[in-house]
Amino acid sequence: MFKDLDPILHSQLRLAVMSLLISVKEAEFTFLKEKTNATAGNLSVQIQKLKDAGYIDVIKQFKDNYPQTICKITSGGVHAFDLYVKNLQAYLSVK
Amino acid sequence: MEEKKLSEQESLHIIQQMIQTAKQEQKDDGKGWIVWGWALFIVSLLTYLNIRFGWYDVALFWNIFAAIVVLYFFYLLFRFFFIKKSKKVKTYTSDLFDKLNVGFFIFIIFIILSINTGVPPGKGFILLIGLYGFWILIYGTALNFKPSVIAAYITWAIGLAGLFIDRLIHPVKLDNLPGDVVNAISLERFQWVMLFHAFAVLCGYIIPGHIANKEFNNIKKGNILPGV
Repeated sequence: MFKDLDPILHSQLRLAVMSLLISVKEAEFTFLKEKTNATAGNLSVQIQKLKDAGYIDVIKQFKDNYPQTICKITSGGVHAFDLYVKNLQAYLSVK
Repeated sequence: MEEKKLSEQESLHIIQQMIQTAKQEQKDDGKGWIVWGWALFIVSLLTYLNIRFGWYDVALFWNIFAAIVVLYFFYLLFRFFFIKKSKKVKTYTSDLFDKLNVGFFIFIIFIILSINTGVPPGKGFILLIGLYGFWILIYGTALNFKPSVIAAYITWAIGLAGLFIDRLIHPVKLDNLPGDVVNAISLERFQWVMLFHAFAVLCGYIIPGHIANKEFNNIKKGNILPGV
């Protein structure tokens, strides 16, 4: 029996964001937007969902009078991502 | 970008693509190594020529270089405190390098101070070569950049050979020789130390720096990722 893939991660943009964040210490919203080619609105919504799931931390602050949003993956997020990849590998190796 | 149902293959593709993109952020352009390397190389050669042709005081070019480095250090401090430029992304390696850079420069200051308080300059520069090798090895290992790993060992080999300059150039004891002869022999030995130092920075900084820069530019050229 295969475990279901985590529905929070099994989404194109959320998975892309998590894959980026797992490889770096932290990233600005603009970096994520640039690398995923997503719209700001859609990215904001998906980031909020990841935050609500406890997979990422979002720090909102001001830098030189401009708002700045920094995202970093949490240990829960690392664990969830690890599990997602393992389940994905198990699925693909049998398929 | 619209959300759509993902197949497992597509998921895997996204993960690979994004991790690859993030990896490219960690790629160094090598410019720091190139500038630092060429600066050290030129000053070493100028000092060599200065001793050979007796233009000015032996330490002149190193003093000018030190003054420039100190000014640059103050500029960095100013930029850090007053013109804070945040990076769009912080990687673990960039964080490690920022901290190690501080340690590297503190150690350089230790060696420079020791040269000014009794350690013979010839030996001090060999210690610097040893330090360069250590930093180059960390850099090469952290970024999995083989040219730097190889360069670190070459740099150490040059430094090790440099320790025996005294035994290769006029292998005599200086204790009982007249002062002007001692000076002449010491200067000739120091000339060789400068050549070893130049060769070490050529192998340790300049060549790997240019290789890193070439690789970085190639990645930039081919790095047109389609949106996910």
